[in-house]
Amino acid sequence: MRVHRGPQTSPLLAILLLLALVTAACQPPEDAPADVAADPDEDDDVAEVEDEPAEPDDCEIDGVDRIQIGGLGALSGAHADYGAQMEMGANMAADEINAEGGIVGCEVEIRFMDSELNPEVAITNARFLVGEWGAHFLVGIDSSGVALALAPVMDELERVLIVTHAATEKLNEEEVYENDHRNVFRMSVPVYQDAIVAALIVADMPEITRIGNIGADYEYGRTAWEMFQETLQEYRDDVEFVSEAWAPFLTTDFSPHVSSVMAADPDMIFATPWAGEAVALIRQAQQAGSFQQLEMWWQAMGASVDVLEALSDEAEADAFEGKLWGTGRYLFNWPETDENQAWVEDFREQHDRMPNYSAQTTYTAVMALRDAVEAAGSVDAEDVGAELAGMTINAPAGEITIREDDHQAVYPVPAGRIVYDEQWGMACVCADLQVFDVEEYYREPPFDD
Amino acid sequence: MSVENLLYQGLIGFTNAMYLWLVAAGLTIAFGVLKVLNFAHGSLYMLGAYVAFSLYGEMGLGFWFSLVLATLSIAALGLLLERTLFRPLYDLDITYGLILTFGLVLVFSDLARLVWGGVFRIPPTPTTLIGSFEVFGRGFSYYNAFVIAAGLIVGVALWLLLDRTWWGRTVRATASDREMAGALGIRVGWIYASVFALAAGVAALGGALSIPVRVVTPGLGTTIIIQAFIITVIGGLGSLRGAFLGAVIVGLANAYGILLFPDVELFLIYGIMALVLLLKPEGLLGERR
Repeated sequence: MRVHRGPQTSPLLAILLLLALVTAACQPPEDAPADVAADPDEDDDVAEVEDEPAEPDDCEIDGVDRIQIGGLGALSGAHADYGAQMEMGANMAADEINAEGGIVGCEVEIRFMDSELNPEVAITNARFLVGEWGAHFLVGIDSSGVALALAPVMDELERVLIVTHAATEKLNEEEVYENDHRNVFRMSVPVYQDAIVAALIVADMPEITRIGNIGADYEYGRTAWEMFQETLQEYRDDVEFVSEAWAPFLTTDFSPHVSSVMAADPDMIFATPWAGEAVALIRQAQQAGSFQQLEMWWQAMGASVDVLEALSDEAEADAFEGKLWGTGRYLFNWPETDENQAWVEDFREQHDRMPNYSAQTTYTAVMALRDAVEAAGSVDAEDVGAELAGMTINAPAGEITIREDDHQAVYPVPAGRIVYDEQWGMACVCADLQVFDVEEYYREPPFDD
Repeated sequence: MSVENLLYQGLIGFTNAMYLWLVAAGLTIAFGVLKVLNFAHGSLYMLGAYVAFSLYGEMGLGFWFSLVLATLSIAALGLLLERTLFRPLYDLDITYGLILTFGLVLVFSDLARLVWGGVFRIPPTPTTLIGSFEVFGRGFSYYNAFVIAAGLIVGVALWLLLDRTWWGRTVRATASDREMAGALGIRVGWIYASVFALAAGVAALGGALSIPVRVVTPGLGTTIIIQAFIITVIGGLGSLRGAFLGAVIVGLANAYGILLFPDVELFLIYGIMALVLLLKPEGLLGERR
């Protein structure tokens, strides 16, 4: 057919069809995996466990050839470095375990898939990893919305999930503690870190009285802002929350948000967009001169390595005037222990980058699974879960205890100002580090307020 | 809310409108002449951003040189695409082009992931454009001012090119009646190729301009094309002036939506599109067909 002689399709109709196609493309088929992740580091062979026979060859667990750990992380888009770092951390742990003979003789294999920060995609891929690939455990999860959606599914899948980044307090306080989804654990600090620690710091900064919010427009951003306000009001009655702007995922231009919030003349900005979106936000705000008007910019996940790398030039030029604060779920420069420094150096040698907190928490999650499986002598979710609950593990981040009641890992992480540091050759959360006792800011069961 | 703050917010919205304008301009030019709805047009914006990033951020070439080279290289890619993939489509129903360009979006997205990785990219801001000056009592970045200037210059240049040159007249003649233009000796194939290259180049320039302040990711093309289609629907498919008007409306609606109507900000743009479709389906400056 060369010439179309029939009636032509209306361009407007075609546009609507296009938009429908885009929507359809974002929805994975129910019974198929949605986008298997590419290896984030082609030069690195840690993911090729299958091709390199590991030392362990005599798995002592009945009916198990090897222990398979499925990973779900953001592996595409502006947040993709988180998933990539998760995969690096998981593979690093698997390599170490396999080099030492595996878990009770069983080789460990890792496979990561893209969650796309989308609950439906994550659930589809979790089902694929467990049902088709044969994962015994799942680790990862970046988005709070995804974590909340997946928690009930883990009962049905009968697998342990260790969340290593998503931060909503509803995961441990409601899904695990209240709703009893006992297969769900979390190895990373919850939103207490982003919100309550911020409030404790601002409580001692009387020069800050007017506060604006530029929030990530989903569960995490909303709950962080709410918790920050509630906590700060317990310490200060002279602060005003003067403006809010909310940015959904995929926002590229934050200028209207910055402009809108700065119009209320705040002393401080509380910001929760993260990863690449945090970089764009901070850079756009800095270029508009916002830091000259502010006393403090709190970037909740400002300690993320991708953010620190991207903002190093500005930090070196002191463009943030020492007013940019950040924290994370782990800082590569803290604690200053031999164990942490050795781990960071090892990571740096393997990947030529500093580890992000998602790498450390996922590394620790795999190590915790090793300890739990060895203690249980089984990969059964109930047995392994029983060992994980109440476990204390020595991680690069220090000593971590997983609470029995809500399966939440408890450990302190500092917050501080983001500055350029000659020792690391990049920006880091290195100045005015403030470390609080976990009793001061971790909410505890029974969560009655 | 002070008048100064309202005006400043408008200026912020206008800056965003310039990025959108550069994408929508190429989209509407290509549709006006070739009658192809190029869903992959946003991918050309993305590729322009990535190429500029490689030249400026990785190879260390000058920012201005990188802008020009990225624009020209994607224009050349546009030329190649038109001669090889789009050419057989002109006699077919518009849906064929739709399917082809949707496929191209997926190809370009995966290609970008393969070449530049899945993680975001953002190079430093060129030193000559760092800093801000005061407008309406607030700081306004030099870079934003540069983007506004670039968008307006491109707008004037496109108008001059299409309205005041021999090439522009032949383009308009071809768009109006392809067979008659061919009978009069106009090399229609060459006109189509050059128009598509121009459209690709303008989109690439938009992408290249965005790199110091907006992160580049493989999915960027899809995000931007949705906004570009909304703009062309509002302004009128095939109308260059309509694309500019649509971009300004969308940019301002976004900015003022965030400031004044934060709860319905996302709905606002779609609401405007729906209203235009209801009251003037051909778009504000589109021609009734």
